[in-house]
Amino acid sequence: MTKIVVTGIGIISALGNGKKQTVEGLRAGKTAVGPIRILQTKHHELPVGEVALSDEELKQLINMPAATATNRTTLLARVALKEALAEAQLAPNSSDSIVLISGNTVGGMEKSEQYYRDFLQNDHRNEYIGLHDCGACTEKIAEEFSGHFKFTSTISTACSSAANAVILGANLIKDGTAEIAVVGGTECLSKFHLNGFNTLMILDKEPCKPFDAQRNGLNLGEGAAYLVLETEESALRRNVPILCELSGYSNSCDAFHQTATSPNGEGPYLAMCKALQSSGLSANDIDYINAHGTGTPNNDECEGYAMMRVFGDKMPPISSTKAYTGHTTSAAGSVESVISILALKHQFIPANLHYHSPIEGHSFKPVTEVRENVPLKHVLTNSFGFGGNDSSCIFSAYQVTGNRCQGTDSTPQRPIFIRAASQISLQAPLSEQWFEEPVVPDTLNCDSQEANYSLYINPMAARRMGKLFKRAIATAMDVLHKGNCEQVDAIVTGTGLGCIEHTEKFLHAMLDNDEELLPPTHFMQSTHNTISSQMALHLKCHGYNCTYSHRGTSFDSGLLDVLTQMNLGDIHNALVCGHEEMTPDYFNMLGKIGYWKKESADEETLRRHDSNGSFSGSCSLNLLLTDTPSADNLCTIRAMKMLYKPDSQQLDSALQRILAQNNLTVNDISAVVMGLSGDQANDEVYLNFARQQCPEIPLVWYKHLFGESYCASAFGVYAAAVILQRQTIPNHLIYKGKIAKGAPIKHILVYNHFQNKDHSLILISSCLY
Amino acid sequence: MEELIYKLKEEIIDVLNLEGMKPEDIDENAPLFGEGLGLDSIDALELIVLMEKNYGIKLKNANEGKEIFKSVRVIAEYINEHKTK
Repeated sequence: MTKIVVTGIGIISALGNGKKQTVEGLRAGKTAVGPIRILQTKHHELPVGEVALSDEELKQLINMPAATATNRTTLLARVALKEALAEAQLAPNSSDSIVLISGNTVGGMEKSEQYYRDFLQNDHRNEYIGLHDCGACTEKIAEEFSGHFKFTSTISTACSSAANAVILGANLIKDGTAEIAVVGGTECLSKFHLNGFNTLMILDKEPCKPFDAQRNGLNLGEGAAYLVLETEESALRRNVPILCELSGYSNSCDAFHQTATSPNGEGPYLAMCKALQSSGLSANDIDYINAHGTGTPNNDECEGYAMMRVFGDKMPPISSTKAYTGHTTSAAGSVESVISILALKHQFIPANLHYHSPIEGHSFKPVTEVRENVPLKHVLTNSFGFGGNDSSCIFSAYQVTGNRCQGTDSTPQRPIFIRAASQISLQAPLSEQWFEEPVVPDTLNCDSQEANYSLYINPMAARRMGKLFKRAIATAMDVLHKGNCEQVDAIVTGTGLGCIEHTEKFLHAMLDNDEELLPPTHFMQSTHNTISSQMALHLKCHGYNCTYSHRGTSFDSGLLDVLTQMNLGDIHNALVCGHEEMTPDYFNMLGKIGYWKKESADEETLRRHDSNGSFSGSCSLNLLLTDTPSADNLCTIRAMKMLYKPDSQQLDSALQRILAQNNLTVNDISAVVMGLSGDQANDEVYLNFARQQCPEIPLVWYKHLFGESYCASAFGVYAAAVILQRQTIPNHLIYKGKIAKGAPIKHILVYNHFQNKDHSLILISSCLY
Repeated sequence: MEELIYKLKEEIIDVLNLEGMKPEDIDENAPLFGEGLGLDSIDALELIVLMEKNYGIKLKNANEGKEIFKSVRVIAEYINEHKTK
């Protein structure tokens, strides 16, 4: 067993900046929730947990020039990250393989909502357009510390985002993909979030009262927190102090309702049970639970029942610290992980503020006064998100184990197969017609061809769904049918923008109606993880559920997550998918920053790649992955490597490593599938790679058929799978070179990059040889 | 009253996206939640917005909604008593 330890933590929230102020605030037992001072909104009746520093003051803390275009979510993250990296003594440009996984839900919305009319009407604020999406925040966070990281990604599972970042980071370390993982989440207050939660009528106008019979909702907060995770071996080698151990974790899906938790808390129950199981601890070993405890009637009741199911009549001390900080949404998982670690370190239990009397049916009372000098060894913390994305983590006091920890190469490499695929795009839906007779795109903003959704979704469920949900569910059900599979262990979604149509509708309503009378449905659907949780809801899948929103490598990040877990033997089959849609407004906004061609995007224009941009294509693709061999499998995924800002030497060594691991040389590769899209700068990166690495090997492209989108790379994997299964490459997929007729197609390399920042290399092989 | 009931049905169909439904398909005496139409808590929130937008009736919380949204007729009666516009 690889032991994972924590060697650095950083935090900023309403309680203050840094660990010291956080501990002092927690021990003082006083709420940091109060009236709104910085956020520009009319809803001053709502108390919030606001970080007391202005954007300008935050910029000063990290030596950022005052004029830099940025957003508060990024600023908060940088402050917290700086503290965590310093404590872990991580210097830039070390040889260690360090990854950054950061969660957020609404990206740069706090600026987009201020400048949205400019985005639509003029060019005054164009520099903020590219900062809007979730992945852009992580990109900007990483930029400052770019010498540190070898891979970055963004998780967007609403209020459990940061907890899921902890989980991915830990899995990447266990699997040997990373030595050190910097993980956490960040979110600032925005009008969008405040009004969104307000439409759900779950914001308390008084300070929130978690687990109290009279609780009346949550208080929104803001903040950021990061943890540095690494193997015990790595920490000992680097000779850095170990703060504690991450002894267990789990992610489960409630698969009950889009916003509400099931009455008996099935998802939370499973998350806690499996976290205990993975830690090897029993329920009795837990000394303190830092509960999710938002203060909403539904969460606290159901979480309480779930805890009662897990711990029975031996309930450990419990408190929710959200009455101190407010609900920091995407950051909550790491904010409360850091609070749990501080509690372990300083041996105290923070109070559950504002509690008076128990909820009917609850057999426990939370800790109402700060308890000092408590011998804490194991602390469990819960983080639950919309759509039932429920995660639990357990932090334990560190005990030296000497040589128990094994090297990271001990993990057995398992064969992993693509069993089936299903797509909805501008090509004929739910079919592979594109492989023989593709539709030729005739506009710069291509929407998908719709399928007959009534076959998959009943009308009562469909009526609230945007098109992306319908496409996701239809492709999920179709791929399970094709793969002759009834249930999966995991559903992992990539979506750079989520349901942008609903996001825009809510934004428009909020600006037009001056923050009044807003539609709750649009807000809920705007949350990126809704797509994945809708699939889980439809399939009644309680397994692992996660969503990646990391720009052009959103799908790749999800694939890496699934491969990692399959490699660890934690899951045996999974849906991994990519879903994007485009609206006219967002298309125009991205057009202003060079995403699209100006006139047409026919094949000839794209092949010239002498100007910026490509054409937009909405897309949905679901792949069914399995570790079970079968004659029906399309192909096998041999290796995957993701890199952040690699130079050509690093790309070369990543490729050589992948090949060597599989006893191959570059000449064994039959074709390279690339995300060539017609964009001058992007295509140059691809073609350079081909010139340097594989000048003789045929190049395959696919974006000329499916268009460009943040999840378009999914279609590269799909194209490779179909080529390997059918053992032929149709002419319309060949960008350059030739394959001899009848020659076996054994191995394909899929190469994707986004703006030369995030890159992925995937080696896929035929099952026939 | 019957006129209000009909108008309310049209509004409910529109705001809840009850595609393919006509006012005649909704029984004004049947329960809206659980059985009957089978609406859920998100629909209740949409109805709360509808009440305020179209009739100037502000409900304090979702629980209050539960009492009022029993059937279209109950809603109509409540509107008649409390509407401000």
